[in-house]
Amino acid sequence: MTRITLGGAVLRGTVSTALVASLMSAPALGAAPVDLSKWSPEYVRSIAGTQDFDTAADCAKVTPLDYKGRLTFWYQGVFEGDPDLLRQYYKDFFETFRKTYPNIQLEDQALTYNDLLDKFRTALLGNAAPMAVRLQILGGTEFASKGYLQPLKPEDVGYSTEDFWPGAMKAVTWDGVTYGVPTNNETMAFIWNADIFKRAGLDPDKAPATWDDVVKYSKQIHDKLGIAGYGLVARKNAGNTPYRFMPQLWAYGGGVFDEATANPTYKQIELDSPQSKAALQASYDMYVRDKSVPVSALTNQQADNQPLFLAGQLGMMISHPSDYNVMLDLQNRATGTDKDKAQTVINNMRYGLIPTGPDGKRAVVFGGSNIHILKPEYVEGGKVDEPAAKAIICMWTSPEWSLKMAYAGSNPGNLNGFKTKWMKERLDSIKFLDVTTSMLPYGIPFPALPQSPEIMNIIVPDMLQNALTGAMTVDQAADDAAKRVKELMGGGL
Amino acid sequence: MTILTGKTGTRGGLRPLLRKIWEHRADYAYVLPAIAVMLIVIAYPIYYTVELSFFNTPPGLQLRDKIFVGVDNYTAILSSEIFWKVTSNTLIWTLASTFIAFVLGFACALALHRDFVGRGVLRAILIIPWVISAVAASYIWKWIYHSDFGIIGAVLVQFGLADRPPNFIDSVSTVLPSLIVVNIWREFPFAMIMMMAGLQTVPDQLLRAAKVDGANAWQRFWHVTFPHLRNVSTVTILLLAVANFNSFIIPWIMTGGGPSNASHIWITHIYELAFGRQRWGVASAYSVLLFLILMMFGYFYVRALSGNERKDGSA
Repeated sequence: MTRITLGGAVLRGTVSTALVASLMSAPALGAAPVDLSKWSPEYVRSIAGTQDFDTAADCAKVTPLDYKGRLTFWYQGVFEGDPDLLRQYYKDFFETFRKTYPNIQLEDQALTYNDLLDKFRTALLGNAAPMAVRLQILGGTEFASKGYLQPLKPEDVGYSTEDFWPGAMKAVTWDGVTYGVPTNNETMAFIWNADIFKRAGLDPDKAPATWDDVVKYSKQIHDKLGIAGYGLVARKNAGNTPYRFMPQLWAYGGGVFDEATANPTYKQIELDSPQSKAALQASYDMYVRDKSVPVSALTNQQADNQPLFLAGQLGMMISHPSDYNVMLDLQNRATGTDKDKAQTVINNMRYGLIPTGPDGKRAVVFGGSNIHILKPEYVEGGKVDEPAAKAIICMWTSPEWSLKMAYAGSNPGNLNGFKTKWMKERLDSIKFLDVTTSMLPYGIPFPALPQSPEIMNIIVPDMLQNALTGAMTVDQAADDAAKRVKELMGGGL
Repeated sequence: MTILTGKTGTRGGLRPLLRKIWEHRADYAYVLPAIAVMLIVIAYPIYYTVELSFFNTPPGLQLRDKIFVGVDNYTAILSSEIFWKVTSNTLIWTLASTFIAFVLGFACALALHRDFVGRGVLRAILIIPWVISAVAASYIWKWIYHSDFGIIGAVLVQFGLADRPPNFIDSVSTVLPSLIVVNIWREFPFAMIMMMAGLQTVPDQLLRAAKVDGANAWQRFWHVTFPHLRNVSTVTILLLAVANFNSFIIPWIMTGGGPSNASHIWITHIYELAFGRQRWGVASAYSVLLFLILMMFGYFYVRALSGNERKDGSA
């Protein structure tokens, strides 16, 4: 049914040594439990289901199972755009933890991606933070650089640094010290509706090869069918925006700094480079010139694109593998003829690699989350129960749970998760998973800087909005954004 | 209860003042807990905000490592383009919302003041926007306005009144008026209730006497009703203005201040500076300026209330 020409694309991607090197900079790569140099859908399939792990036994070595303590824990939890399957796994995890460690009094609190940073920052100002926190990948460096976090490396919770993606380890490292353990890592993929492609006169089983093609396809879909072509997202203070614009920016050869290179220094600002402006121009062309994307892109986020896609009103978008499950959930809730329409869209869902830039560069945000332990002075009550915190971290970052907690929407932070039976089950049950795991080697982490949240959540979306609303020209918007990054890096007010 | 004025204290010296305080020690004891709470939750935050407004707080530093910059935050604010844009948005938002909500509320109050069948039901219906959650209302209006699939757009397209749905909240030119409409919808019932209460105080015999003297409806309203409502109108307008100056939920939820800062008002901008960008110092300086402006409103509010009390006392 689905014919995705992955082989050639993946091969080319694997040869993109610069990007791969950026992700594989760990010295002990040869000894890694999963050989990242062989990364391909076939390799992932070959290792899936080859090893069993006893999570409780492994974590008992870190914190005895009869340990008595109390833990306050905040985490970025499921939100409205996640599938029900993931909700169930989160529920299962906390039930299992409480059963495994019956004497640890766990006070857990789930927060959405967009709320977590604000609430956590505020709590820190009042020394009222939780003992442990699971933050989005973007947040770790900010809090480590400010001295809020305790040094914490995978070895402290029973694993090896080589068990995790080197790119993910970069995101939890500040000034040479590791301050957290990755829980999950993800790369998104390109999704399209084959039926819409067909009706618009496009090849229904072929994703746009380049971002210039995305612009063309989007226009063609809009002109022929009167619906939105590409699901542009440009809302401010929403994580979805950088996750969708940065792959485009990097593919054109641009960037905020040199974060897309093998050894980034973050010294040179690139937002006003001709390549970055070309990427912004592509968004401008779709939104302003062709009017081929949702008008609501400036106030919407990805959760708003999902129902549009399911309603057959959107041709293409960047998203997680979990979107297939989200569509199934939404379809289950639909009634009458809507249910049939939704089924047609699901039957026509196709996943492919994210398009390249004009020079064949393919990129995607290397996303995910990390777990950290706070220093006692910033925690409510002034005490941190370290064994209890390490128990939950060991469990969440175990091969079993780092996979289960990322079952539908992401990938396990612990690479051994790819070897578990649940990975095998996942490959069989989650459609299109191959595509998103294939994107992993193209993943580029956000700049590991304390200023990154402001750059990604405010400055980059502002740049997009300034250009797309006509408040500034493309050149002015890019120059303005570069100037703001420069001021920010200079410690300006 | 006895009100001690400065005049009393200075005329009689410190000793009589202290004696009076001692005589009323029980009264002071009763209000002491409230004053203590006020000091903790109001006075200290105000002091800390003022202090913080003289510091730079770069995102790479903890708040305790803040850098003293004197009045630089204030000069940076006043010399920034965004300040003037946000101030202009705030003034438009506050004045338009306050004026239109008041006029609409007043008109509804006048209409509902008459006796007619279904008045009670209509009054209950009109109060609904004010009693429902602002958060829920914001999300509902966001979908009503949705630039691609909003209800308004769908109706206009369905009836052939527009080729494509109008762009309400994704355009820099229409976003603020669109949000103001939502705010007015939320607030006019408050003005209506206040003015309905005020209308109860207008003496019937005066209106009847004016009618006997040949005054028409407009003359009765202008010369009899309105003068009686002057104070309640002032208070209503001031309360609406203060609420609008401090309004956060509707613009933040519906647009987050966007697109391109076109719907940022002071309070949303302060929130973004503080929590999104961690510019606690600049955000504090903004807050101090906002506090001073609101204190002016507070002054006029107290004056209006005092005016009422004096009138009541002399009547």
